Amino acid sequence: MKSESNLEKVLTDSTFAVTGELGPPRGTSAGVISEKAHYLKEKVDAVNITDNQTAVVRMSSLAASALLIREGLEPNYQMVCRDRNRIAMQSDILGAYALGIRNILCLSGDHQQFGDHPKSKKVFDIDSIQLIGMVKKMRDEGVFLSGEEIAEPPRMFIGAAANPFGDPLEFRVHRLAKKIAAGADFIQTQCIYNMDRFREWIKQAHDMGLTEKAYILAGVTPMKSVGMARYMKNNVPGMDVPESIITRLKGVDKKQQASEGIAICCEQIEEFKEMPGVAGVHVMAIEWEKRVPEITEKAGLLPRPEPS
Amino acid sequence: MNDSQQKKAEAEKTRAVLNHNQAKIKLCLEACASCSICAESCFLFNNNNHDPRFMPSYKVINSLGVLYKKKGRVGTEQLKRMQDLVWRNCVLCTRCYCPLGIDIPDLIALARSLLRTRGVCGVYPHTLGAPEEEYIMEWDPQELSDPDEDPDTQR
Amino acid sequence: MVKAEIKQLQEIKTSVIGYSSILITGCGGCVSVCLAGGQKEVENLVTKLRLSCKADTAPKNIGGMTVERQCEAQFLSQLDQEVPKYEALISMACGAGVQYLAERFPDKPVFPAVNTAFIGINKDLGWYEERCQACGDCVLGITGGICPVTMCAKGLLNGPCGGPQNGSCEVSKDIPCAWVTIYDRLKAQGRLNNILDIFAVREWQNQTQGSIVLDAYKSRYTGEKK
Repeated sequence: MKSESNLEKVLTDSTFAVTGELGPPRGTSAGVISEKAHYLKEKVDAVNITDNQTAVVRMSSLAASALLIREGLEPNYQMVCRDRNRIAMQSDILGAYALGIRNILCLSGDHQQFGDHPKSKKVFDIDSIQLIGMVKKMRDEGVFLSGEEIAEPPRMFIGAAANPFGDPLEFRVHRLAKKIAAGADFIQTQCIYNMDRFREWIKQAHDMGLTEKAYILAGVTPMKSVGMARYMKNNVPGMDVPESIITRLKGVDKKQQASEGIAICCEQIEEFKEMPGVAGVHVMAIEWEKRVPEITEKAGLLPRPEPS
Repeated sequence: MNDSQQKKAEAEKTRAVLNHNQAKIKLCLEACASCSICAESCFLFNNNNHDPRFMPSYKVINSLGVLYKKKGRVGTEQLKRMQDLVWRNCVLCTRCYCPLGIDIPDLIALARSLLRTRGVCGVYPHTLGAPEEEYIMEWDPQELSDPDEDPDTQR
Repeated sequence: MVKAEIKQLQEIKTSVIGYSSILITGCGGCVSVCLAGGQKEVENLVTKLRLSCKADTAPKNIGGMTVERQCEAQFLSQLDQEVPKYEALISMACGAGVQYLAERFPDKPVFPAVNTAFIGINKDLGWYEERCQACGDCVLGITGGICPVTMCAKGLLNGPCGGPQNGSCEVSKDIPCAWVTIYDRLKAQGRLNNILDIFAVREWQNQTQGSIVLDAYKSRYTGEKK
């Protein structure tokens, strides 16, 4: 084991892993975190804590991760390259480990233009692949990026994101390979709706031997309504929502659309369980944490292994 | 100001610059030994098949030299030729060398200053042929009114 | 070359309120080429300011003069005779020129009339585009002659991020994704290998004021022996 992470243990035991997601509040309330955590407890193996997602200011992912530990859940601490330079990042990683955080997800971060401070100054001192390499270096070599020694290095289980649907399509799997070569232990994908494209991508990754080198968790987000599906299709960068999903949601009564969205999601999970190369699923129920128990139940993902 | 007044004003400016620099111009023009060593140091001369119109000394003598001798009284055609010499045939890289120590770039810059007093300046390839009103910034007429007299902005 | 854009007239006017005489100085270098601060623009600004500044607070005496380059002392010296006649200066040069002008005439307030935008190219008449951020450690040889530092909205060295769709950057459909462009060009040249390896963390070279002294001149400026 590279870390003391529960997620790592689940994955190395060849159990189909489940991760959830929790967005910190736009304020100081620790109560919001307890409330959301309550829905996820014993339903997932680890919970991603987003880092100022879509470049909108929220409570720091470091603080929210620490609060989540208090609730008895394991955080997957997200860190983006947009807001910090290499000094702040390494410092936060040390602090995170000291607070009991064992998983880190390394991301580029959405451009600030999408957020609530569109004219802020971007950092991007290092990019997501370089960040993965930096965390690995800190863990495996016990040194900072500078080469200086770390007293008691942080032993993190390192995650990265992959988008099987962005451009250029042919290069996507090579970029995955770069992330794994840099040191990613697990990969969480962008929300999957286009299953044909995903099957093709995971097959390529599998053929290249990448699924042997890192655990790949397929990302899903249940659709709440046909409106949400249309919005994701047209407005969210890097999202591939096929027309068939929209047609299916349109085909049911408005009151039934949420259940239909969950049904689609559960069918996807059933397929992922059988798909070679897929080691788990990442359920991103955006501001819909309360439905996670239902999804995990219906998809046959419960009970979760007891964290040791 | 009408046309003839404008011309008179321009001529005065030209003469003022000439008078101010008279001694320097005279000394340099007399000192030039026509040795052509400056030509070898000019990358434009070397890149244009040693066309003499790119020789630094040629450029000075046929612009500043003429303006000096004619006390600034040169016609439009001649101004046009000088414009080509000191803007198109020279980028003022200031790397030309004169064994007698003549500061050639200084003289080219002076020729440019004299031409500027006559309203002549560099024309850039991408603006050639385009009417001036297309690329001269026009402000909103609203902006031409007096600035708001905000006491905070006054010193 | 350096590209700049003229400021709003209102802003320029406001900056010189309270001075009775100002000299508008143009630059015959880059800002002439991008039609922001050359002789024509100086003449234009002089006229416009004279027309619009008739109130008591506006400068009564507005002059204009263009020098070959405001980033060289030799050419700035052309202003030595004129500057003492005025209370304040407006510079239409790039940020470098404005500062060198202010340094030469330290007792005169200097106000910029243009916003210096970037190092770029002339796409067409009146159309300029950024190409270089002067990062000080050029990678164009690896990236197929396309700059990821400038063109990628995130300046990624191991792009593209998850955002691009139909070849466009996530920040706008109208901006091509730098990394898709790099990918396409390298693929066409059979050089995809260039970007399959991880691009290591960079040592940024532009984090303190830049300064270049050629080796041949080191002894001259620093006293260091060759």
